[in-house]
Amino acid sequence: MVSEAAVEAVRLEKWFGPIPALRDVSFSLERGTFLTIFGPNGAGKSTLLRVLSAATRPSGGEGRILGHPVGTGGGAWRERLGVLSHRTFLYGDLTARENLTLYGRLYRVSDLADRVEAGLEEFGLARRGDDRVGGFSHGMRQRLALARTLLHDPEVVFLDEPYTGLDPHAARVLRRTLERLRDGKRTVLLVTHNLAEGLELADRTVIQVGGRWVHDAPRDRTSAAAFADVYTDRVAEALA
Amino acid sequence: MADAWTIARKDLVLELRSRERIVAMLTFTVLVAVIFSFSLGPAVRAQDVAPAMIWVTIIFAGMLGLGRSFSLEKEEDALAGLLLAPVSREAVFVGKLAANFILLIVVVAAVFFAFALFFPISFRGAWVAGGAVVVLACIGFMTLGTFFSAITAHTRLGDTLLPVLLLPLLIPVVIFAAGATERLMAGRPASEIQGPLQMLLAFDLVFLFVCTLLFAFVVEE
Repeated sequence: MVSEAAVEAVRLEKWFGPIPALRDVSFSLERGTFLTIFGPNGAGKSTLLRVLSAATRPSGGEGRILGHPVGTGGGAWRERLGVLSHRTFLYGDLTARENLTLYGRLYRVSDLADRVEAGLEEFGLARRGDDRVGGFSHGMRQRLALARTLLHDPEVVFLDEPYTGLDPHAARVLRRTLERLRDGKRTVLLVTHNLAEGLELADRTVIQVGGRWVHDAPRDRTSAAAFADVYTDRVAEALA
Repeated sequence: MADAWTIARKDLVLELRSRERIVAMLTFTVLVAVIFSFSLGPAVRAQDVAPAMIWVTIIFAGMLGLGRSFSLEKEEDALAGLLLAPVSREAVFVGKLAANFILLIVVVAAVFFAFALFFPISFRGAWVAGGAVVVLACIGFMTLGTFFSAITAHTRLGDTLLPVLLLPLLIPVVIFAAGATERLMAGRPASEIQGPLQMLLAFDLVFLFVCTLLFAFVVEE
């Protein structure tokens, strides 16, 4: 039976030798939810996204995306998932337009040329579309990586620290894009250690420390100031 | 196959832009041909040693470019981007292999051209048979080369480890390719190289099957 949840984790574990990155993480994320995962550096937040996108195998447990067990290989469920990582996955010797076209072909995007132009336009790169990415600034690459992530209009979006390296204008563009993604149909899993940016759009907030979820609550029950206190307390308790 | 071609075309465009691999491989080829032309004494008949020299040059020139095949995917972790896409790992492997094969064929053409400048060598009209030897040997070489390039790209030793792993496995390919080339250049009938061609084909099929199957385990954690 196909599950209704967009993203599910059942007792996920990931160990790097003796060091735990994920410990007994279980959750279910309904379709249309915007979940933000906070945590200090080394909390295993990025590892969780990597495991759920099958970029790395879990040491134990199972993940599911839109009801499909996350396994290795090029399963069709990947067409419905967009991932923005710390790295951009872009080729420096290809132009911005060529990079998007390459990924669009691999994701079997229809009306590819139009979608590529729309992506470049949305992220303010239309004028630089024919320039090689190797000459782009970090912020421009990050914007192009976002365009790549959303090019195939994924139902589930994983964003790992998307604000990193963005100037204020680019951050505003990203915020607008994230608001657009919060359309009730798309499921977004945002990982950040920035409380203000992460809380802004979240329906549900999680704090992860040492590979464990030490806090999991709907956003509307917590004010921004109160959440900062909760975050500090939870992290301190977990690290004590 | 469409995905494999998309990946191969991407690799070829990247190579055309940077020319990192092809320039190094062609330069090496010309230098080796020049060195051999001066180092062989008058007592040595070029036709006797040219096939072996040609295949040794092809192998080493090809290996010069192989290391870059996957190291270019490490910049910005682009390989992870390919693996996150709804593309089979087999398509990724075949795409990388196809791009490497096309580059190697360019190098092979340059090797034969460079050696023909210095030595009186020719396939003596047996161009189809000669072409079959080249294509089959290059498929085997690049299948193993692409596979081991994927392995060594994830190690600290990288390019140093590649020939150590690859050369022992290439010995049978070189033996049959050089043997067949020698017979053709000696003017023997093409029917005499049926055995070596069948062996090269058998190696290709085994290498393709095993490497394509194992590639997913190499690139996925």
